[in-house]
Amino acid sequence: MDTILKLTGISRSFGAIAALDGVDFEIGRGEVMGLVGENGAGKSTLVKIISGFDDGYTGTYEFEGHPTRFHSPGVAEQAGIAIAQQELSLIPAMSVAENVFLAGHNVQAVATKRSLAARARRFLDEVGLTDIDATVRVDRLSIGEQHLVEVARLIAHDPKVLILDEPTAALGESDSIRILNMVKKLAAAGKSIIYVSHRLDEIFKITDRITVLRDGESQRPRKAAELNVNSLVELMLGRKLENMFPERAARDRRDLLLSVRDLWPDGMLESVSFDVYGGEILGLAGQLGSGTGEILAAMAGSHRTRSGMIDFGGETFLPRNPAAAIRRKLGYCSDDRKYDGLFLGRPIRENLTSPALESVSRFGWNFGGREQQVAYDLAEKFTVDVSRLSAEAGVLSGGNQQKVALGKWLSISPKVILVNEPTRGVDVGAKAEIYQKMRNLADEGAAIVFASTDMQEITYLPDRVITFYRGMQIGGFELAGITTAGILKDITDPFNETNL
Amino acid sequence: MEMLAQFGRSLVPPRLAAWVDRQASPIVFALVTLFVIVLLLGAVTTDNFLTIFNLKTIIRDAALVGIMGIGLTFVTLSGNFFLLSMKETAALCIITFAMGMSHGYGFELSLLATLIVAVVAGGVQGLLIGLGGNPIVVTLGAAGMFYGIASWWSDNLVISFRRPNDAEWLGTGSFLGLPNITVAFILIAVVAEIVLRYTDFGRKVYLIGANRAAARATGHENLPMAIKVCIIASVCAGFVAVAFAAQISSAQANYFSSEFGSSGDMTILVIATVMVGGNSIMGGYGSTLRTSLGAIFISVIDNMMVLRGFNSGPRVLAVGLMIVFSIVVFSLARRGSRAQE
Repeated sequence: MDTILKLTGISRSFGAIAALDGVDFEIGRGEVMGLVGENGAGKSTLVKIISGFDDGYTGTYEFEGHPTRFHSPGVAEQAGIAIAQQELSLIPAMSVAENVFLAGHNVQAVATKRSLAARARRFLDEVGLTDIDATVRVDRLSIGEQHLVEVARLIAHDPKVLILDEPTAALGESDSIRILNMVKKLAAAGKSIIYVSHRLDEIFKITDRITVLRDGESQRPRKAAELNVNSLVELMLGRKLENMFPERAARDRRDLLLSVRDLWPDGMLESVSFDVYGGEILGLAGQLGSGTGEILAAMAGSHRTRSGMIDFGGETFLPRNPAAAIRRKLGYCSDDRKYDGLFLGRPIRENLTSPALESVSRFGWNFGGREQQVAYDLAEKFTVDVSRLSAEAGVLSGGNQQKVALGKWLSISPKVILVNEPTRGVDVGAKAEIYQKMRNLADEGAAIVFASTDMQEITYLPDRVITFYRGMQIGGFELAGITTAGILKDITDPFNETNL
Repeated sequence: MEMLAQFGRSLVPPRLAAWVDRQASPIVFALVTLFVIVLLLGAVTTDNFLTIFNLKTIIRDAALVGIMGIGLTFVTLSGNFFLLSMKETAALCIITFAMGMSHGYGFELSLLATLIVAVVAGGVQGLLIGLGGNPIVVTLGAAGMFYGIASWWSDNLVISFRRPNDAEWLGTGSFLGLPNITVAFILIAVVAEIVLRYTDFGRKVYLIGANRAAARATGHENLPMAIKVCIIASVCAGFVAVAFAAQISSAQANYFSSEFGSSGDMTILVIATVMVGGNSIMGGYGSTLRTSLGAIFISVIDNMMVLRGFNSGPRVLAVGLMIVFSIVVFSLARRGSRAQE
């Protein structure tokens, strides 16, 4: 096959951390190349380098047979490399056609709504949006259709290589199918497509070859036909990192602590029910869009919920807001600590005591002594530098920020802690620490319920796993019965659609 | 700039200079040095500026605006932006108070009625903001309503109440040689600062202002906070209205819109005290102490300009310049201190 893009020996470091270490990558004309790897394996760094967002790498970059180096995404785009990122860059209030020509190329100086729509038609057809009126506002379309418009916008520049970064991450089944059909169509038209995805079922459906990244290193590309889910997962995980994870609770299950009954958070296809036991770590496995995060948020009163109840502590309730959950000793860490997990501009001490102001004050007065003591103890327990309690939380590293975001819940003496993506954006060392802290909390009698898309932690951390697929509860695994293959099948292809 | 910063550094003790280095970038230090030089030159060369009497005048002039600024600071720190209805709230309150006084209800009852009006005015705005209303839209709308009511109720006339009356002590009396209004300013400033620093309420103000989503996730909702801070700001405006009416034993709806202090517009002046003090517009960072100093600071400049015979145009310009200047300096300083760590 005629290679259009070839990267050899690409290395990229951020400070002391090597994100990529001697990575090779290539793609042929008209080929669909899958790019897979765990979170933190280096996929996004590699994608940024290919698309010109990051030029701080070493190694050689050949495009159409010539050595090159793109210093900005604009230059890469002109050369013919376009990227559709997970975040849409459409202007909601503008029409579909206007969005297609957003960058202003290929447009005559004066255009009417209708002439623009006519010119956009060709590109919309190419991505399979044949039935869409190009004059309607783009925010009237479904999210999946908006993704297709985004690609149509890129196609309008006639790129040679198109990078799709998890295009189906936020989509439902029918929208995903449209994306996959579009990819096949574009490849048939001779475009090279780099397809980044966590959804292994999709990867097998549409890619010709697959490149696996692991810990910043690349595997040689393999033909998709030569692999199956199991062998691909093995390539992604490599050696087993079981010793990163603390010992499971090798004891009998403790008492029933909390029951979720017919809980139906907005965004799920159906309601869910499950039990949580004291002293256990329960994992909710599912990919983005599976609804696991919504379930945790709903239990904590920070997500709209259609119906359902929680039986807990002799009460049956559904928290109206986070305060109601906190009063009942339920703590919740979202997957976005910068958004609602931390007060980045406030001291670490204030972050640690923020859910429990009343417990560090007396009659509403807080002169700092008791607060300092409580914050000190929490910081020590979570191995946060106790000498920096007065520093702003924003100056901490990602791992330490996550420890503060999680550790602050100890201030309410929680009975249940709900954590969405406990180690997102956290380096390996801090990951191991966080796992240990979670296990310690469970050993002290609290229950931990966490959701994760990280296959390792969802396999090796919890005592019990419940699986979810696109808004539906699928099945469950316990202790020794928890296997990566079992979970993967449940969360990517539970209805056996692809017959691997 | 670099040279100016060097010069400034040479003027202060080494330990202070080192501290400043940690806090601020050279440009901030240079700007502050420049400013201090101008101020000192102005102070020394302006006749009658450096007298005890004039310094008292400065603080007295700062008091009314300062008290309203302190109230508004709670709103700003909690991330609820500004109340653009400060002067209209004061207008409604001053008419309420004067109506009470002129109809012979006496100081206490009139004050009580005024405070009730202020609480309701603040509470309603806070409720709407807390429920998700845009603070600018809500408080602009409220401003129109309050002024309309005050103007209609009073027929736009001056309502005066006979001297002697039992409100005069507040407006014209003094305590330990300081005017009562100055004493009130100092007391309110101290109490506000203590509340912000040492109470759960104060901490919540900062947390909600620093990150509303994180505050909600840790159990601190903005709705009750918005209502509380708007009531605080509104009651401060009401108190200022009462004090002002007590000074001159009369009231008119447009007292706070026409010539008041240096700027024609009380609301702008109050917002200026909050900004000049260096409080974060986005909330979560700042203090009422900063606002108090901001009020005194504006008063110093204004006073100096009055003594030098400037009329109101240049003085309003000076207030505007100070707002811009302080926003630039404080944002640079904050960025600098972040970058160091």
